[in-house]
Amino acid sequence: MPIVQPGKRPAKRFQSSKIMGGKMHRHLRAGNVDLNVVPMVDMMTMLVIFLLQQFSATGEVLYMQKDIRLPDARHGQQIEVAPVIAINATQVVISGQKVADVPELEKDPSQIIAPLTDKLRDEKKRWDFIHQNDRDREKNWKGEVNVQADVKVPFRVVRRVLASAAEAGYGNINFAAMEEGGPLAAKGEKQP
Amino acid sequence: MPAIDLLSCCISFLLFTAVWTQISRLQATPMGNGDPAPTEQVKSLTVTLTMGERGYVLATSAGAQIEIPALGRAPEGGVQYDLKGLAERLKKLKGDFPDQAAITVAADDAVLYADLVHTIDACVGAGLANVSVMGAG
Repeated sequence: MPIVQPGKRPAKRFQSSKIMGGKMHRHLRAGNVDLNVVPMVDMMTMLVIFLLQQFSATGEVLYMQKDIRLPDARHGQQIEVAPVIAINATQVVISGQKVADVPELEKDPSQIIAPLTDKLRDEKKRWDFIHQNDRDREKNWKGEVNVQADVKVPFRVVRRVLASAAEAGYGNINFAAMEEGGPLAAKGEKQP
Repeated sequence: MPAIDLLSCCISFLLFTAVWTQISRLQATPMGNGDPAPTEQVKSLTVTLTMGERGYVLATSAGAQIEIPALGRAPEGGVQYDLKGLAERLKKLKGDFPDQAAITVAADDAVLYADLVHTIDACVGAGLANVSVMGAG
């Protein structure tokens, strides 16, 4: 049996009929239809413009973590590249490496977190090595560190992190916050 | 067709590199880090904002001490600070001393990170951009 195209197949005697044959052949039109691409290009252009407006390099500096909810702030500045100290309810992490457990910090009377200070000193040594040929190396050293803490982290933990950073030579602390109105800003935490 | 190819490549690149969250920073200096103290601060007023269980205490080296009591306890725990009242006081202070840019925030150990950031934000918003942070007591 031959393979035929699906659709209406009138009997042969109707094909010659002026009445029935005309009805059967009415939908057989040319299949060459042009695709109108103008609306698609318009849509893609708008999408590109929207994405370019949203483009930001801050994601390269700080990564949002599930267990850290940042507070919101109105007068924040653009975040810059610096070592990131993340503090959540259970641990203190620098550059993805755990340096302290928060419950243990509560018991420890020391003001400085030694592993954190060591790690920051290593970072400073690395920076010094990279900039060893710079004439204005001392001037260019900003001593910045980004602190990314959860909204509920108490200051007694943050204070130790600050003291450890200062001990390692990092005197400028950047507290990370969400720009107010952002999708993940800790709404409800701030009073009117 | 080349335009569509180009746009498709652009969209793919931008989608891969898209960051939907805007993170900002509030700069502060920890007190007692060994850095030389700025000489300007000696000449100008010293403003200290203490955060505690009862609320804010705004003190200046001129002898003024203003208490801004807390609004109560937040539902999730912690103190509900009067940020609006603080912002008004800081703006008034800035109006009286337009050259003043430094402020020291002395926070109690129990103060939450969110409250600290909101307080620093209020200070920066009032024009006191050189914020130093230290522990209270």
